[in-house]
Amino acid sequence: MNGVGLVLNFETILVILAASLFGIFVGAVPGLTATMAVALLVPLTFYMDTIPAIAAIVTTSAMAIFAGDIPGTYLNIPGTPASAAYVGESYALAKKGRAREALGINLVCSVFGGIFGTIILIVVAQSLAEVALKFSAFEYFWLAVLGLSCSIFISVGSRTKAFLSLLFGILLSTVGLDMMSGAPRFTFGVPDLMAGINFIPVMIGMFALNELMSYYGSKSEKKTISVVDKDSVFHNVPGHIKRYWRNMVRGSSIGTLIGALPGAGADIAAWISYGVGKGRSKDSAKYGTGNVEGIVDASSANNSGISGAWVPALVFGIPGDSITAIVIGVLYMKGMNPGPTIFMDGSGLIYALFIVFILANLMMLPIGYMAIRLSKLFILTPSRVLMPIILCFCIVGAFAINNSVVDIWLMLIVGLVAYLLAVNDFPMAPAILGLVLGSVVENNFMSAMLRTGGDLTSFFARPISAGLGVAVILLWCSPLLIKAYRYQKQKTERASL
Amino acid sequence: MRDVFAGIGFMIAGIVTIITAQQFPTLPSLQYGPSLFPSLVGGGFCIGGAVLTLNALWQRRKAAAQAVQDDPTLATSPPEKMGWAMVLPPIAIVFYILASDYLGAMLTIIIIMFSLMLLRKTKIYVALITSVVMSSAIYFIFSHYLLIPLPQGVLLGGSLPWIS
Repeated sequence: MNGVGLVLNFETILVILAASLFGIFVGAVPGLTATMAVALLVPLTFYMDTIPAIAAIVTTSAMAIFAGDIPGTYLNIPGTPASAAYVGESYALAKKGRAREALGINLVCSVFGGIFGTIILIVVAQSLAEVALKFSAFEYFWLAVLGLSCSIFISVGSRTKAFLSLLFGILLSTVGLDMMSGAPRFTFGVPDLMAGINFIPVMIGMFALNELMSYYGSKSEKKTISVVDKDSVFHNVPGHIKRYWRNMVRGSSIGTLIGALPGAGADIAAWISYGVGKGRSKDSAKYGTGNVEGIVDASSANNSGISGAWVPALVFGIPGDSITAIVIGVLYMKGMNPGPTIFMDGSGLIYALFIVFILANLMMLPIGYMAIRLSKLFILTPSRVLMPIILCFCIVGAFAINNSVVDIWLMLIVGLVAYLLAVNDFPMAPAILGLVLGSVVENNFMSAMLRTGGDLTSFFARPISAGLGVAVILLWCSPLLIKAYRYQKQKTERASL
Repeated sequence: MRDVFAGIGFMIAGIVTIITAQQFPTLPSLQYGPSLFPSLVGGGFCIGGAVLTLNALWQRRKAAAQAVQDDPTLATSPPEKMGWAMVLPPIAIVFYILASDYLGAMLTIIIIMFSLMLLRKTKIYVALITSVVMSSAIYFIFSHYLLIPLPQGVLLGGSLPWIS
């Protein structure tokens, strides 16, 4: 009951309300992503108490993921990458004059997916935390390595690029005084870098400055809405739910699972769920022509993925996506260590977090409805006015963490590198995971080696540790194994002919 | 073609990282010193960069061979155009770092917002009003609510008359 009191007070409720509006706005403006919304929020949350700070991040990310559907439906431009999987469907519906219906079902699926993911989080996290209490440096080392490996193997596109992006993040994590010897590494004589790279300017650079640069690098925007939206938002929703409730449950399950895997977030969850739905649908031929079924699958998945990503983040301190990576960065800076102990410390923090999740998802219903009615207002907000404001916010926000100009330089340099990587199709999620998990891998490796006197075989001496180690090795060998399997299959097929 | 340069870039970065890491001190009591992880990262950069470069060159040769077969004029693809305006945000940030101590944070961000808005052809009165209002809002939130010592600037005598 402690948790209820932590949430139901004036400050937290006000923060949740403000964060909802902010999230809806950022999500609905094309070119601004949910991760960017969270990165922009961090300088402000840094000065709040823990509960309102986390509430702000949870609410913002959930709302932004839903709101990304709004420009997707009206303009065929996804507001956030998580909506990209099914913009085709919603836009096709909108062209038939059913824009509000499409957004209505999107909204209901988002709420359902979000709450489904939260329930899984509540049920699974608690019991996993009891297991995690038994973990030592060996297990955490393998878990972090597993997390980093997942971020490479699940990413869309070139694995080499994901690998290099990950290494860039790990390299950033090694800056500062070495934990064991106290020797300065890559500090270039700058005293501000002694304590290590500051997460927040890096995140602002990676996710906000990078997007700003690609906006200015692109041709000027022209947004005109040609879609008629005189239909009702919720009128047809009960019928769709009755027909497609199985898809909602399946989409949410897939979403939670994918979200919980490190490195894969809401966007990949939506793509996979959409693909699975299409493969299993009776009328898959209708996909792409404005089919509600595809929207149901993917729209439940992306919001449940947001909740699912918190499972490994809370239990093991291993982020499930870039948003939870930012959260873990914030928790570290506040002097809290995410991990199984936050379930046991009796502060009610964890229950407060669960309540925030449910509250944020329930509030999505009325606020989302308002947003659908006011869609045009969001979509037609001119980016040319918005982007300079965001830029100035980034500068002041980066400065605010330590009152240091070095952090502004850091944001600039990381932003430039991130922009160069992003235009060459390097994914960003592995980099941020590398930054957060790099020190976890290194510190656990070093303390394990100190304990056993440098005996590498000790990583396979404990049963859970050995199991995790084997899982990592299997994951790394999986491309080879799959190739060998295919080759063998082809050979037997040829032999049988 | 860009992948070739990206790969070479990573290989150079890898070599620099390894060389820098070798200069870190080692402790005789530790088998694994502070240079281990940076060296591993450097090695990873070299391997990943090499794979990327070779892959890109191989794809290019394959694509070129195919294109020549189909239509010899298509063998070289035109370079992709990138807007020069993407340098505007970095320039604005450098301007802030250099100018804010003299002009003060508030005035500097008004200038940045106003000029960036005009560059994208915003109506002048819209740009003026939004940049003044939003800069004041940001300045107020950070300096009064969060108590961040944003630079006041020497130009206006240390403080702005309308925000004390």
